[in-house]
Amino acid sequence: MAKRIYDVVVIGTGAGGGMAIKTLCEAGLKVCALNAGRRLNPEKDFRFHRMPWDMEFRGLGDPKRRDESFGYMDNEYTTAAWDHEIPFTTPRGMKWMWPRCNAVGGKTNFWGRSSARFGEIDFRAASLDGYDVDWPITYDEISPFYTRVEKLIGVASTVQNRPSNPDGSYLPPFHFRCLDYILQAGCKRVGVPYLPDRCAQLTVPYEGHPACHFCGECTTGCDVGAFFSTPYFLLPAAEATKNLELRSDALAKNILVDQNGQATGVAYIDRQTKQEVEVYGRAVVVAASCIESAHIMLNSKSRHWPNGIANSSGQLGRNLCDHLYGESARGYLPQLLGQPSFPDHVGDSTIAWMPRWQNLNNPHEEKFVRGYSVYPDGGCEEFPGFATKLDGFGSSFKREVKRRYPTPVSFGIQAPTLRSDTNFVDLDPEVKDPYGIPVARIHFEWDENVLQMWEHSKRICAEVLRAAGGELEGTGDAPEIPGFSLHETGTCRMGNDPKMFVTNRFGQAHDVPNLYVCDASVFLNCTDKTTTISILAFSLRTSEHLIENFRRGEHAVA
Amino acid sequence: MAGQGIQRRRMLRILGTAAAAAQFPGFSKWTFACGHIGNATLQIKPAEYHPQFFTPAEYASVERLSEIIIPADTTPGAKEAGVAEFIDFMVASDPDAQYGFRTGLTWLDAFSDETTGKRFMELSLEQQTSLLEPLGFKDKARAGQEAGQQFFSMMREYTVKGFYTTEVGFKELDNPALKFYAESPECPHQGDPEHKHLPPQKH
Repeated sequence: MAKRIYDVVVIGTGAGGGMAIKTLCEAGLKVCALNAGRRLNPEKDFRFHRMPWDMEFRGLGDPKRRDESFGYMDNEYTTAAWDHEIPFTTPRGMKWMWPRCNAVGGKTNFWGRSSARFGEIDFRAASLDGYDVDWPITYDEISPFYTRVEKLIGVASTVQNRPSNPDGSYLPPFHFRCLDYILQAGCKRVGVPYLPDRCAQLTVPYEGHPACHFCGECTTGCDVGAFFSTPYFLLPAAEATKNLELRSDALAKNILVDQNGQATGVAYIDRQTKQEVEVYGRAVVVAASCIESAHIMLNSKSRHWPNGIANSSGQLGRNLCDHLYGESARGYLPQLLGQPSFPDHVGDSTIAWMPRWQNLNNPHEEKFVRGYSVYPDGGCEEFPGFATKLDGFGSSFKREVKRRYPTPVSFGIQAPTLRSDTNFVDLDPEVKDPYGIPVARIHFEWDENVLQMWEHSKRICAEVLRAAGGELEGTGDAPEIPGFSLHETGTCRMGNDPKMFVTNRFGQAHDVPNLYVCDASVFLNCTDKTTTISILAFSLRTSEHLIENFRRGEHAVA
Repeated sequence: MAGQGIQRRRMLRILGTAAAAAQFPGFSKWTFACGHIGNATLQIKPAEYHPQFFTPAEYASVERLSEIIIPADTTPGAKEAGVAEFIDFMVASDPDAQYGFRTGLTWLDAFSDETTGKRFMELSLEQQTSLLEPLGFKDKARAGQEAGQQFFSMMREYTVKGFYTTEVGFKELDNPALKFYAESPECPHQGDPEHKHLPPQKH
């Protein structure tokens, strides 16, 4: 029997892979998609509105397994959806957190949903401040793709006319809560913006998807699909074409090549049988997430590609960037002491933002280059975390917990690192995963520039809190460890020069024209914005370029 | 409100999960009590709980400490929420915490003996409360009692976690989590954006 050759093999079903799968299938291409984990069942794998007392460890998780958790989304409610089997390493003295949802849909099942477009100020950042290089595309080129993505997924926000944040078309925003109005007044006094966030959450029914029911548990999975995720928004359309074969529990190992070094398919481990399987395609799309895509490509060694496929530039795995996350300031709002409790967490943290306000008029007005954003939050949380640190005991303590319940506020920074030669992914020469595959080794440290932003944010956020009439209880001691944000970029950067970049301006590998990359690894850096909506927009553009190449006969349909 | 049918269906499923949760070891009291919040709570005489980690004497101290930290007053406290069972269950699953609790409880008895000539559980509630004041209130803290203050902080943290994660604790705060709304709730104080003129709350 002749072996089956698909048009395209896609590795990964997250935002990037999901968009590629849908776009390619709808264009009539036969797609085989590989996903490292299984399909989720919302009723079992999501929180599904379970209360803390429905859980063995009250949602706090088994203390014995504390060290196995990879971040706040990987918790007692959702832990079965996260990969705890495949290890990774960091060199001595370095830290990295790598939450990997290997289930179908990837991290889109649990993501934070903030969805701001990158702007010209991001694409031209190097020309403005002299650091690194510009992106190989302009905002005008990518803008129509953002518009189409917003139309597809639905983003709640407002038109804001911010120089760093191009506007799109939006669903009605979340309403402001008491704490938003109070902090907004503080921001106004300090001269920084406080606006509705851009949140891919359906504030109204949209395109056949139900409206959000505002339970506030988005990051433990939405059982009705009221925010964008691949399984709810992309895969049904792809499956309806009958052009998709989705293989789950298929852990991609390496990309197969022919005698000319061109991609012919993918070798993967079937995690059920533990056997290695090969699947063939005329083109391959890698969309396994930034670090994993580089890891798979680095493991794709052959006579042609002794250092990993499409790596003649030596840049594969290099230029890893990340968002520094941390609590810049925290305190409480005395105005709200003793007020009735209020459902402050219906949006699960993305109601308001303080979009980048630094270095807008002059790229060097601050001690650092580029800029950061801040996500303010607070109010009545499901668990009154502040109470674990409150002084005293007895009835007075109990009353004080209740009095303080509506008042806590905090400011979370999202600040981009700059490209650096010392931040990169390679293969660990010794450690192998249970299937014998060399694991990813992640080298990463915060740079001086991003730490300057961190210091700056602590000062400004404290000022905002005081100006809002709030009581400051602390400014951040240390940021979260690298990787916490899940916003890593780089490793397969796009650019016109094949000597300097792994992929071209369409995310197509310079060395291997039938190999495409559809995730944040093609990004030059992470900007001050979140990555998912840009992954969707860039993946859509790359996928259409791939389709065009098929039509022109470049990947020869049989 | 839109989606009421969905809510009911979901509630039924949630109740199913809660019944399963009652099968977990070490949860006889709080699942029982939580299922009957309100007047019935205090009438329930749950089956006697057998600690998984603490000795019976240690367990009695833990239970008393939790009741002192979050007492029943105008509303139910740690006892009604089964906090001591929760602490025993968590500590039994957490080798790192076991040492701290065991040494802390030993310290407390030694401290009590040194101060009053009696073990902690031999004191009246009033005496226990005054013994704990320098450990639990920063402005009453004394030098040389850092180990006790540290233990008390840990005890308070576990009590808070054990109390506010129950239905009793949710009710105490009128916790708005995991409810369903037709649209995103809006600040009800239009015309007072800085919230300078809110009605005072009595507490």
